[in-house]
Amino acid sequence: MNELERKLKTEIERLFDEDIVDLVIAFKKADSPLRPQPAFYKNKAELDNLNYNSLCQNNLANYLTKYPHTTRIGVVVRGCESRSVNALVVEKQHPRENLYLIGIPCKGIVDIRKIINLTGEEVNDYTEIDDEISVRVNGNKVKLDRKDLLHDSCLRCVHPNPTNSDVTLGDLLPEGDPSIVRQAVESFEAMDRSERYAWFRHEAERCIRCYACREACPMCYCTECFVDHATPRWTESSVSPAGMQAWHIIRAFHQTGRCTSCGACERACPMDIKMTYLTDKLNENMITKYQFETGLDDKTQPPFASFNMDDKKRFIL
Amino acid sequence: MIYILEKKELDQTLTSWSENFDVFAPQKVEKYSQFVPFKSFSELTFENPHNTRFPPKALFLPQTEVLQKYRPNLNQLQEVVQTPKPRVIFGVRPCDAQAVTLLDTVFNTQENVDPYWKVKRDASIVIGMGCTNPCQTCFCTTVGYGPFNHDGLDALITEIDEKYFIEVLTEKGKSLFTHLPPATKDQELQVHSLQLEVKENMPIAFETKNLKQKLDKIFDNDYWQTISESCLGCGVCTFLCPTCFCFDIVDEVQRNERIRNWDTCMFRIYSQEASGHNPRPTRRERTRQRLMHKYSYWLDHIGKIGCTGCGRCVRYCPVGLDIRAMIRTASNVKSEVIND
Repeated sequence: MNELERKLKTEIERLFDEDIVDLVIAFKKADSPLRPQPAFYKNKAELDNLNYNSLCQNNLANYLTKYPHTTRIGVVVRGCESRSVNALVVEKQHPRENLYLIGIPCKGIVDIRKIINLTGEEVNDYTEIDDEISVRVNGNKVKLDRKDLLHDSCLRCVHPNPTNSDVTLGDLLPEGDPSIVRQAVESFEAMDRSERYAWFRHEAERCIRCYACREACPMCYCTECFVDHATPRWTESSVSPAGMQAWHIIRAFHQTGRCTSCGACERACPMDIKMTYLTDKLNENMITKYQFETGLDDKTQPPFASFNMDDKKRFIL
Repeated sequence: MIYILEKKELDQTLTSWSENFDVFAPQKVEKYSQFVPFKSFSELTFENPHNTRFPPKALFLPQTEVLQKYRPNLNQLQEVVQTPKPRVIFGVRPCDAQAVTLLDTVFNTQENVDPYWKVKRDASIVIGMGCTNPCQTCFCTTVGYGPFNHDGLDALITEIDEKYFIEVLTEKGKSLFTHLPPATKDQELQVHSLQLEVKENMPIAFETKNLKQKLDKIFDNDYWQTISESCLGCGVCTFLCPTCFCFDIVDEVQRNERIRNWDTCMFRIYSQEASGHNPRPTRRERTRQRLMHKYSYWLDHIGKIGCTGCGRCVRYCPVGLDIRAMIRTASNVKSEVIND
């Protein structure tokens, strides 16, 4: 265990000792050092396999909605995860008083696919000391540069520090540069309409409709998703262009004012489909048109979920 | 009979087959490899040690397939069984070919023949690529199959240096290779000893003896709750699995088509009944179903494990769940502790 993991372990032990939580959601070591798994600790006895490094690729806020509101949950949160938790609290998916957020400032998630693209699939071992990352390929140690490995969403991260956490472990990091998010949106906008459609179609039509993007997303917690609705059916359920495009565009729209750009959807996708180019644009619209950024606190309703008597347009009231 | 194909002649061989057949081979699509119609020799990925990401079962059981067309209001249904052009599917790994033979026991039996499946099977010559470099995630020998198994193949390639040694296994397979020079006795020995060596060097991931009995005994155990906790409930493992075959039939009314789509037991709606009842209401029952189907129910049906050890579910699970570890832990659960 490194220093951060030791601090994390001590904090989790304290939470159990002082009976602050019933459950702690964190990461644990798995058989392959390259694939740490979400862990669900019910007591401090199992904590020896606790793991925290840049390969922990899931958004743990995703699991909050799977427990009753009465469960007191401690959860390890990085910047994006803390904002997802806040957004879930706003949407009344878990009461804040039954949550204990253990914040960790995040230097970005290492994308296992980027490692594999550089080294081939037979990669093993993984060590990370600050920005030095090394793996083993066919018995040989290979050094890799963190910035070549970060997931695309993390390269565009603006808020690496947890918001609203109950405790923060590790040193705070400088905020990211919002213009980098603009660059990504800009390159999509720079295309003309037919090029944009071709891009969208190319991404959407590799979809195998496994819905890993949906299931990995903390904000996709509906008990019945629109694609699963049978009467009436809203979209084709086959892997037809119409069905796949409908899924991708409507999934993105349902995230308006709710997405925290964590990129868990893209990391879960088995077909390497890009999705954040859509949600990043919607997020930008939320900022420029409504001065709203998802999850910066746990009180403010997203613009499309709230209404006021002095709203500019009065179509609801 | 083993024939020899020089590696440098492969391009020309595939091109010449293309005149009479639709040739499918693993090629680079985006940053991964997938079975697509043979286009370019330089894009071929069949020598990569790892398998294609999307399983070749889709060549026989497409993810979406039109079964019937109908004309509204006329009470007319028309079956659409499209016989494909004869095709060569080149570079199939033995685990995936094995999987197709397991699916034959579902779609092509004496009692039940699925015409959509059968026409594609009959039209195909399947050429396997033996695995000289099994991956860390491979466990075919554990589940009773192997890196050079013949099942489901018409010919099997073993790659040694600059040559492909082609073992012809059926008449269909023979038709493609008779023009090639045969291997000498020494070369045949070399091929077989390499095959044996690779097979024996593969680690055994878990013990399969009495596994079914052990799993059946812990059906109601809390173990399933524990392992399902991190499962997202997505369809990655099952859709990429070469042996998963569940499907759902829907009517696409705007196109007047009745369609068969892959479905997966990992989805809540898979087992949702019209009454509102769901016999597998949580991820606990659904995760259990996936493992029990492969390691218990298949044994009830055909006496074989319904997993061929391809390792796709291990590689692509978004939360890093490893079926080998799940089975290992399951076999160690004490069955007398029943908590339900």
